Formats: sequence, structure tokens, C-alpha cells
Amino acid sequence: MSTPGRLGEVMALDRLVHEPARLLILAVLSGAKEVEFGFLEQMSGLSKGNLSSHMSKLEAGGLIEVKKSFRGKRPLTELCITPAGRRALAAYRRQLAAVMQELPDPAAGTKRR
Amino acid sequence: MSANVETRLHELESLTRSYARYSRSAGGMSSVLGGVLCLSAYLGGPLLPATPATRAVLIAIPAAWLLAKGWMVRRYYQRMGHVEQLETPQERHMHWFCVAVTLLVAVILTTSIGMTALQHAWSLPAGMLGYLALLWLLVVAAWRWLRSPLDFIVGTFLFCQAAVVSAGGFYPLIGTTHTHQGMLMSLVALMFPLAALAMIARGVAEHRQFRELRLRLEQLRGAPAGES
Repeated sequence: MSTPGRLGEVMALDRLVHEPARLLILAVLSGAKEVEFGFLEQMSGLSKGNLSSHMSKLEAGGLIEVKKSFRGKRPLTELCITPAGRRALAAYRRQLAAVMQELPDPAAGTKRR
Repeated sequence: MSANVETRLHELESLTRSYARYSRSAGGMSSVLGGVLCLSAYLGGPLLPATPATRAVLIAIPAAWLLAKGWMVRRYYQRMGHVEQLETPQERHMHWFCVAVTLLVAVILTTSIGMTALQHAWSLPAGMLGYLALLWLLVVAAWRWLRSPLDFIVGTFLFCQAAVVSAGGFYPLIGTTHTHQGMLMSLVALMFPLAALAMIARGVAEHRQFRELRLRLEQLRGAPAGES
């Protein structure tokens, strides 16, 4: 593959998904039907504010759905990945694998296979 | 790097999936409790003296089990936060099939009892009303809580034994009855203690798996997002 082609593939990576925290959120959500905010907070190690900010971006992009309700008097936030989110995550994984395979291995001086 | 990212993504997904199982299909110690209660109800019905206290305990067993099951999920297995399991289409179909079977049986038995009551100027003994109530509670329980095949078998037996006890009877042990109907009933009922033993073994295995899962989750907890 030519360099501009490789660069094109790198540039084509979905930036909404590519950010590590958002990638982690999508990976966790893809393993369940619905996930409580608290679980995601503990799994990610992110602060509440930081997590909320990434959640909002993913929700705005239509990749996740956020449901807010109450359990007794306590507010409850539950998240689930949308079908579009599942497709975006799968596409990202394929793209990333393809890009990495085409990049030269600095140690061997050849392409990764 | 790609392989590393891919492995991490897969691990996160897989850990979440394993944790989510304990919201529905995996019971751990609640399965062990269900199995023990199933064996107790199977043996207690015919072997214990039929006092009001014994009958009350046998009738209360299914509700006590479901309450304990919910409590264990909230307080132990999903303590890090509720994560709802993503059912496969096969699991969903199996669940709806089980609910449909209990619904069909409830409709047939209610119709049959209703027609008998109609012949006696709508008079039904209180025990039969209890029987019908427990029968319909089984339908609700099958829809809401009995998500795995073993849960369904054991839960069905607990509700059926409670219903039969409320009507003044019990499922006979094999070899203790000589009537054709009794022998048939005891043969059918024999699958329940076997299912109970399988459920205890499964519960112990699930509990061990959960302890390993919890350790892995605790290792991951708090790791920076990019590294976890």
C-alpha cells in the first residue's frame, strides 16, 4: 500500500470511537444489554465528570443511549450501546487491525503480518 | 499495539459479559440455595408431619427463594453496579417457550377447576384458591425470575409443591405409593431432586467463577482508561 493510502486509512479511523476512554466505554457496553453508571465508573477509573463528558459525546453521536431514572430516592443512570454503536465499534476494530498490519515493523524493517 | 488493543477490548467485553451473567442466568449461591430448598420441599412434603406450620413453610419456600435470589444479586453478585445480561436469541426463545408452557398449563388447569366449580354452584375450597393463586404466581415468576432452564425446573417444582400442599396434598416419593396415578406422579417428580443436585453443582461452580471474576475486576478497577 502506498503511504498516502495508509495515511488515508489512519485518517479514516472514527475519532469519536478512537479516544481511549470512549473506546473503553463502548467495549464495556458491548458486553451487556444495560450497564449502570457506577459499574462503568469503577471499570474505567475515570472521574464522574470526565465519564459524563465522554458519555455525552457518544450519546450525541448516536452510539450509546443514556437512561436516567430514580431507584427510590437515588438517581439512577443506565447506559446501553445502540446498534449504530455496535457497528461503529466493529468497524473501528477492523480498521485498526488493517492499519496496524500495513505499518512497517520498526524492529524488522518490514510490514507486520 | 493493535493486537494489544484488540486483546484489551476483547477482555473488557468478556469481563462485562461474565459479570452481567449474574444479573440473570447465573445464580451462584442462590442456585445452591434453590437446589437445597428443592430437595427439602421434595423430601419434606411426604416425610414431615402435615401440620399447619409445615404446610406454611412449604408454601412460603418459593417466595423466600426468589427474595433471597434478588437480595444476593443486589448485595453480592452485582455489588459493583447493575449490569443487565445480553441474552442470545436462543436464550430468549427458550425463556419465552418456558413462560408459554406455564401459561398454557395455568389456563388449562384454571379452566378445568372452574368447570368443576361451576357444577358445584361456584363453591371452591380455600385450598383450591391457594392452588390457583400459586399456579398464576408461577407464570409471573417464570417470566420475571426463572431465566435459566435449571432455574425454571427447580422454580416450577417449588411452586407446584407449594400449590399441591395448599390444596392438601404433596408430590409422593417414588416407592411410597401403589396407585397408578401416584406412581406416575412420583416418577415425574423424580426429575426435580435430580435437577436440584445439578443446580447445586452449577451454583458452586458459578460462585467459584465469580470469585475469580471479582479478583480480575478489582485488578482492572482504577487503572487509567488507556491502560485497562
